[in-house]
Amino acid sequence: MRDALGIVLPQVGDDSDLHELLGHRTIGTLPFGSRYRLIDFSLSNLVNSGITKVGIIGSHKYSSIIDHLGTGKEWLLSRKTNDLAILTGSVNRRIHDRNKINMLDFILNKGYFEQSNADTVVMAASNLVTTYDFNKPNEVFEKNKADVVLIYRIDNETFHTLPNDVFLTLDGRRVSDLSYAENNKTDYKFVDMILIKRDVLLKIIDIAERNETYDLMEILKDNLDTLKVYAYKHEGYINRITDLEKYYKANMDLLHYDVLSELFFTDQPVYTKTKDNHPTQYGKNACIEDCIVGSGGYIDGKIEHSVVFRENELDEGSEVKNSILMQKCKIGKNCKLNYVIFDKEVTVRDNTELIGTEDNPIIMKKGETI
Amino acid sequence: MKTETVAMLLAGGQGSRLGSLTFNNAKPAVLFGGKYRIIDFPLSNAMNSEIDTVGVLTQYRPYLLNTYISDGVAWGLDKPGYGVSILPPYEGRKGGRWYEGTADAIAQNIDFIDQYDPEYVLILSGDHIYQMDYSKLIDYHKKKKAQLTIAVMEVPWDDASRFGLVEVNDENRIIAFQEKPEHPKSNLASMGIYVFNWKELRKELVDDMEAEDSAHDFGMNIIPTMHAKDMRIFAYIFNDYWRDVGTVQSYFDANMDLLDDDVDFNIKDKNNPFFSNNFSRSPQFISDDAKVKDSLICDGCVIFGEVEHSILSQDIFVDKHVVLKNCIVHTGAEIEDGAILENCIVGSYAKVAKDTRYIASESDNPDEIHVLNE
Repeated sequence: MRDALGIVLPQVGDDSDLHELLGHRTIGTLPFGSRYRLIDFSLSNLVNSGITKVGIIGSHKYSSIIDHLGTGKEWLLSRKTNDLAILTGSVNRRIHDRNKINMLDFILNKGYFEQSNADTVVMAASNLVTTYDFNKPNEVFEKNKADVVLIYRIDNETFHTLPNDVFLTLDGRRVSDLSYAENNKTDYKFVDMILIKRDVLLKIIDIAERNETYDLMEILKDNLDTLKVYAYKHEGYINRITDLEKYYKANMDLLHYDVLSELFFTDQPVYTKTKDNHPTQYGKNACIEDCIVGSGGYIDGKIEHSVVFRENELDEGSEVKNSILMQKCKIGKNCKLNYVIFDKEVTVRDNTELIGTEDNPIIMKKGETI
Repeated sequence: MKTETVAMLLAGGQGSRLGSLTFNNAKPAVLFGGKYRIIDFPLSNAMNSEIDTVGVLTQYRPYLLNTYISDGVAWGLDKPGYGVSILPPYEGRKGGRWYEGTADAIAQNIDFIDQYDPEYVLILSGDHIYQMDYSKLIDYHKKKKAQLTIAVMEVPWDDASRFGLVEVNDENRIIAFQEKPEHPKSNLASMGIYVFNWKELRKELVDDMEAEDSAHDFGMNIIPTMHAKDMRIFAYIFNDYWRDVGTVQSYFDANMDLLDDDVDFNIKDKNNPFFSNNFSRSPQFISDDAKVKDSLICDGCVIFGEVEHSILSQDIFVDKHVVLKNCIVHTGAEIEDGAILENCIVGSYAKVAKDTRYIASESDNPDEIHVLNE
């Protein structure tokens, strides 16, 4: 898919119960799975599908995205023939916003799409956890001379259904109707990944500008008789992070070896920012099971069923269970932590106990000390 | 172009005493301490010492080393026009030939060094594990108005006869050399790290190339010649951790030093970090049956078995019922169900078959290190 342009759609998420972890970042840059940010999945999927030019539509919190992506080198996007662009976002899209894909973002960046010589534009949301090859849905363009391909799932449980989720009515593989969750008539849920011919997208941008309607789904719905809109089923693991429960569960899913293998041990690596960390050292008192762990750590205590990011320190006598510890947390001696989610750089003094529950984990914000 | 110091890193040796670990790649490219390769140590030292120009002299099995060094960006050695250059033997107008000795390797690259018009040339070797600020060594060289400065370290008197030794006077000027003597007169051993004034070294190299009976070696030819001319040769005494990892045993011991709290060498020191050239891998996975302690483990490892006092590089698969004790496992190795290994080095991408056993207490020589590299 060298002739396609990739777009990562923005997702802010301040309106969700994740907001305590989103003070300085968007959902896309929320740390995930010991060493990643959520955006790494969609970005890597685009790159691994052969796409060499990717635009990231930003939101008002640009610094965390720019800090994470840099020039895009780690995603192979800082080469003579490859390119990463950070595009200006028009609005701070919230999880519950009606406009799932907001055409204002595209109107604002119209020049970027006009100048591109791509044949197809592939878009994916920044809060999806899946390893996916867009070449498969791309074949639908060839076979059916499609204008648009929407990726969907049939197992409704995969995501929490939100009011702005879109469901497809299918006639064979062709989409005959689109409806929002409240009027939902089908089991075919759109999963926030879409392929669209660039000339069609440019026409839709014109329609949006002219009619002042900014919901891509609404425009597609209104033009289903003239546009060839097809659907393509997503199979395998997928998760979408829209709230704390999903965030916790998706992290813990990685402790299942089959999920971990499906996401990471493929010929499509998930790229992320690399760090010059030493290997993680386990001390003489360490006892660790059922965990994934990032590099640069020093662990001399006990950790069970947890997701541990890079450069964590855990002293002897301490126990951590069922928890998520983001980068650079320091946990002193003889602490007991159960069901906690720590943002980066949380410090826990000796002999501290913090016991949350699965439904109500204890959250500590970036840099806090207890 | 002009830079004060050009570092020349001798990385061409085969390292035959490391056995099968160097069958396919040069010694400087051998993995160390999990994610590092031996050459990371001098290259990181160069970066931490603000040296911006490094020539790496390669000869034996260079592919992995060349790919690994790449454009030098991993060690910050990517300043446009300077940075790292890989220097294999080449053919010139009058033909070409292999590097025939340490001095010959530098002599064949006189033109490379001349491009930068340096005051000093720092000679480094690609088989030592240490952390050193070369800028202090160069400052010392300037302060002493030396023509050659050799970094040396004190070794135990009992061991001294294994080394090339120097005798010094009150101001650390070298007054005599002894190569692996039976009766050592000094316990200051040369570390194979030299600072020369380029103009003088250049002349010595040109003369040495003409000399028919020369082995074209720094230790055997260039330095004795300079000493015979009564040139100002000083010793720079280095007191920190330094290990030559030229044999399987010394390589194994230096790795295990990283797990020893009493050894004063710390790869975890964030102020003097060691850099390496790695790409993104998955997190390490430790299953609910696994036991891991007293070990260094890198990204991409999957562990279902037991790991104790061991060092695991990246992407290693340790199946269930496996026991690894005092082992070093290199990238991509796969240890199958039920294998029990003690005091072993497992080579990159090696496959250790189901139920393989190497147990020290069952061995005639319990201290022997087994290298498994199939």
